[in-house]
Amino acid sequence: MLSQSTLSRNAPRALSVGRRAMASAANPAFQYDVSDAAGVKVATRDVAGPTGTLALVAKAGSRYQPFPGFSDALEKFAFKSTLKRSALRITREVELLGGEISSTHSRENLVLRAKFLSNDLPYFTELLAEVASQTKYPDHELNEVVSKLLKFQQQAVYSNPENVAVDAAHGIAFHRGLGSPITPSETSPYEKYVSADALAEFAQDAYAKSNVSLVASGPNSADLSKWVGQFFKDLPTGSSSSQYKLQPTQATKYFGGEQRIPSKGGNAVVIAFPGSSAFGTAGYKAEASVLAALLGGESTIKWTPGFSLLSQATQGFSQLRVNTQNLAYSDAGLFTVTLSGQADQIGAASKNVVDALKKAAAGEVASEEIKKATALAKFRALESVQTLETGLEATGSGLVHGNKPYQIGEIAQALENVSEEQVKAAANSFLSGKATLVSVGDVFQLPYAEDLGLTV
Amino acid sequence: MSAPSLTSYIVKRPWLKRWMTPLAQWYTDAAGYRRLGLKFDDLIPEESENVQKAIKRLPAKEAYDRVFRIRRAFQCSISHTLLPANEQTKPSEDVEYLSPIIREIEKEAKERVDLDNLVVRK
Repeated sequence: MLSQSTLSRNAPRALSVGRRAMASAANPAFQYDVSDAAGVKVATRDVAGPTGTLALVAKAGSRYQPFPGFSDALEKFAFKSTLKRSALRITREVELLGGEISSTHSRENLVLRAKFLSNDLPYFTELLAEVASQTKYPDHELNEVVSKLLKFQQQAVYSNPENVAVDAAHGIAFHRGLGSPITPSETSPYEKYVSADALAEFAQDAYAKSNVSLVASGPNSADLSKWVGQFFKDLPTGSSSSQYKLQPTQATKYFGGEQRIPSKGGNAVVIAFPGSSAFGTAGYKAEASVLAALLGGESTIKWTPGFSLLSQATQGFSQLRVNTQNLAYSDAGLFTVTLSGQADQIGAASKNVVDALKKAAAGEVASEEIKKATALAKFRALESVQTLETGLEATGSGLVHGNKPYQIGEIAQALENVSEEQVKAAANSFLSGKATLVSVGDVFQLPYAEDLGLTV
Repeated sequence: MSAPSLTSYIVKRPWLKRWMTPLAQWYTDAAGYRRLGLKFDDLIPEESENVQKAIKRLPAKEAYDRVFRIRRAFQCSISHTLLPANEQTKPSEDVEYLSPIIREIEKEAKERVDLDNLVVRK
């Protein structure tokens, strides 16, 4: 048990830690050095250790795909047969070396990732280059492997009502481009567009030198640029066909609106507003992430609801999950409050969301809470850069989108400078502007935007 | 699929190949499958996993044509007739369409077996 006096002695120290953390956050080990090797942008972070991670980030996520399903199929074609060796051989070789290879895609990026023992850097650099430039894309692999994996992916994604709701929210908020579904839905006729030849042409453009960046954490930067220079010089320079090229980047526009999707798979409601774009872009608003932390919903500490407005407001609901996020992209962002669980509780809690926003807009939130929210937002931003899973993609994405790479000190500074007024203004703009509301599940019970007092 | 064959032995020796080609052409023609409108690859026994897989990998048009040829030949066989000369398979049309795919699948299978029995020496 902590005594009252220990708490009171430590509380001021807890508050003053912020300044000291800044000094150590400038630790150069977490900064990426950007260089250029064989025309490919390379960001490295020297972390002495027995293992390393290498990620190839291509600007070929669902936002840039020319037809539905292309990013998914290209992702699934990663590490399949190449001109030099078969998919099976790649798998067995990686198993023997003791590495890990994976591929994922997000709305903006396609990421090929390899984790390995430091000694195997040349092998995995070559492998990534080979996948990017020499994959065969045979018809039978598409039919026998890739399209089946794609079906499983669809089932996995669309069986979760939260995913359906967030995806639909993007669709209504941004229409095409950023709004196109991250994985085509099971009922959409995407098969007629996807063919092996089309994918091969798409890959020429997706893995073009100007469209990819390499992010490494661990390996020595001199070694890395040597191997990248050797293996990545054969990367394609772009596709000539106009039909299967990447979609040109169009400035994202926010629309907003309401959509109701009946489903038996569970209930979810997403209330979304135009949020902040990624750090280092023109549309970056630090206050959006502070407001996201302030509204919150999920506690960061076990066995306590936490300080956030929504977790306080929804304490009475046991069958409900609330979570607030600012999903940042290269030129836009979506501020989402996601509620999932029992339909009646979602209905009641979604009113609480709007009430909490109104409270924040009216400035009725104690400045203590905003300080806590700022600290949490800072922690999340810095942690996401430091963690490999998210940090590699964020860094690579910054490079291929021509923004400046994440710099830890600057993010921390930007978040610390957020004032209460800015948070209030952000909440106000959400309430006055057009909102996005998606209800998935038992739509008989789920609310309309009208009921919540949102304009759509 | 892989019956013992002297082909590669003969093809490697040009003089022998020059010698054997007319003989081979005569023999293939005498085999008679071309008069039923079939191609040589249609005669490959289907009852094996590899060939089944290869048939699945055929492009849609080739798969359709293959079924058409086999059914037509079947019909000819039942009615004890030969196709009219203009419908019979010309030697120029009698090309491998299935064998390359079968060879590829056999290569894959062999690679798998080899990798499964791999001994790693460090």
